[in-house]
Amino acid sequence: MKKKKLKMNPILKKELVVSSRSIKMSMALMCVCGMLTLIVIAVLFSSGSFRYSYDYSSLIMLFPVLGIAECALISFMVPIITASSISGERERQTLDILLTTPISTFSIAMGKLNSAMAVVLMYVVTSIPFISIAFVLGGMKWTSLFGLILMYIYIGFYVGSVGVFCSSIVKKSIAATILTVVIGCSIIAGSFILYGISLSVDYHAQAEALLAAGKEASGISATGIPAILMFNPYAPVFDFFLRSLSSYSVYELVDRACNGKMNGFWEFIYKAWIPLSVLINVAISLLFVKCAALKISVTRNKKKRKVKG
Amino acid sequence: MLEIQNLTKRYGKFLAVNELNLHVGKGEIFGFVGPNGAGKTTTMRVVCGLLKATSGDVFVDGISAIKSPSSIKRKVGYVPDFFGVYDNLKVTEYMEFYGSLYGIEGSDMETITDGLLELVNLTDKKDFYVDTLSRGMKQRLCVARALIHDPELLVLDEPNSGLDPRARFEMKEVLKNLGSMGKTIIISSHILPELAEMCSSIGIMEKGRLIASGKVEEIMEKSFGSRPIHIKTFNDSQASEEEAHDNLNRLLMEQPNVKRVSFTEDEAVVTFTGSEEESAKLLKCLVSSGMLISDFYREKEDLESLFLEITGGDGNEEKEA
Ligand SMILES: Nc1ncnc2c1ncn2[C@@H]1O[C@H](COP(=O)(O)OP(=O)(O)O)[C@@H](O)[C@H]1O
Ligand SMILES: [Mg+2]
Repeated sequence: MKKKKLKMNPILKKELVVSSRSIKMSMALMCVCGMLTLIVIAVLFSSGSFRYSYDYSSLIMLFPVLGIAECALISFMVPIITASSISGERERQTLDILLTTPISTFSIAMGKLNSAMAVVLMYVVTSIPFISIAFVLGGMKWTSLFGLILMYIYIGFYVGSVGVFCSSIVKKSIAATILTVVIGCSIIAGSFILYGISLSVDYHAQAEALLAAGKEASGISATGIPAILMFNPYAPVFDFFLRSLSSYSVYELVDRACNGKMNGFWEFIYKAWIPLSVLINVAISLLFVKCAALKISVTRNKKKRKVKG
Repeated sequence: MLEIQNLTKRYGKFLAVNELNLHVGKGEIFGFVGPNGAGKTTTMRVVCGLLKATSGDVFVDGISAIKSPSSIKRKVGYVPDFFGVYDNLKVTEYMEFYGSLYGIEGSDMETITDGLLELVNLTDKKDFYVDTLSRGMKQRLCVARALIHDPELLVLDEPNSGLDPRARFEMKEVLKNLGSMGKTIIISSHILPELAEMCSSIGIMEKGRLIASGKVEEIMEKSFGSRPIHIKTFNDSQASEEEAHDNLNRLLMEQPNVKRVSFTEDEAVVTFTGSEEESAKLLKCLVSSGMLISDFYREKEDLESLFLEITGGDGNEEKEA
């Protein structure tokens, strides 16, 4: 049997060295910490923690506020980093050299994505002390903290893969960044639009049937419709915050909307909302990475070179 | 070692490389010469597996670069014409990074890096950041990088472009060393004399076709035969200037390869068709006849005039509609 050593992706390794040396990185880290501090102070003030009577439990608000702020931060930062990853190699003209080495294009794309993830993890680690206030003083469950970190990683992976994909199809880094935001927003908007259309179709279909029977339409009849929202990358994040902050989950919301007419299959689906939607969206991200890999590989390499002379 | 068969590459309708056939033997240093847009880079990129050929095939050590581009990656080292380096990376880390892409790690890597940096004369820059190196140093570092996996074929695209004379000289030394190590090397350039010094054979490319190829001496002789020789003599004042000129003229016209002699203010310009060796013999003859030669040089010819000669006048039309 061959010995297989667990090797770090060389690109990831190099990017870590490089980014740890850049001043931009530490500056950005400082900005993030500053921003988080401001949020914490704002929440402390608004919950009245600086007055005579403390309501520690209101500090639990720090959890969703900081959590959502950081999700937003990751959603903007990771695409900015990854969108310039491959186009940056092109602009710097180092991609050709990479392509003459045995590393696969998929590894290149993955290496780029993972190095952006590593940066995200650093921000996350920095922010743990802030979030911890919600746990120590606000009485939040510690498992939620663990879950939150997983959510960060998941969302970073998703938006990062879109960034890498855009970076591989557009030559200029700036254009790639814009395209990433456009594609990301259209996926989110798309899932809602599709959901809305399906709902109204369902409603009209019901209305006609029920009108004939002399009754009024109530709730969703096709219980599969909310599952469309699973294709929204933020679906698991939504359910996660919902579960952490209330006794509700997506399952209960859908159950109500359907007036309890849910069958066993859909019940399973909605109860496993988080893992299922994470799975679906991770599969989509891998598809994005795969497309990026195909795009940079030689067979598809149709890029125009500058005409010299 | 390298066998190019009927290689054709089209960019849309534009024919960049047209039915190119080429054979480069093991240990040879082959020079690709041609004006900008001749298709040198295109050919080299196909050889390195960076570009799909429209038709034809390329074999490196018997393996097709078209059918199995991944297996030739370990056999070929490529130095592109334009390349950048990463910021915030030291020279050794730069080498380590590319080494790790080939699966070279640890102490092996250190030994290889040291050896290669020594070879390209960058040992003292080991701990410098790559982006702070001069253009010539970057170029040499890129050569070291291309050698990291000990490839059998080294492909260098215009390694001398944009370098000052000193950096050119250093690059030339590196390449000569490589040649003596027995590596097969392909170099491209649009300056023929530069290549002629270090290559064992050259091919002249124009508009995607190889219009001449062979041993350097043969091509040089064929194409540089008529370079004039400039001779300056020192007149030791016993004879008048007229007499001295006559004397020189007579002596020169007796020589086998001299076609014509003309005099400018202070030198004689000799139309000469002989080889390098024959011009040396001419000098020897002049000296042994008691002539005081203060300057003797043969004109270097640029590629443009060479092309005019070889292609019969239309060699320099590089801009395509
Ligand atoms: N990606 C491309 N798309 C269209 N034309 C190209 C492309 N790359 C090169 N060319 C054209 O092919 C010709 C050969 O280019 P190249 O191989 O770079 O020449 P050289 O290296 O000899 O200067 C040029 O006329 C150039 O304009
Ligand atoms: Mg070129």
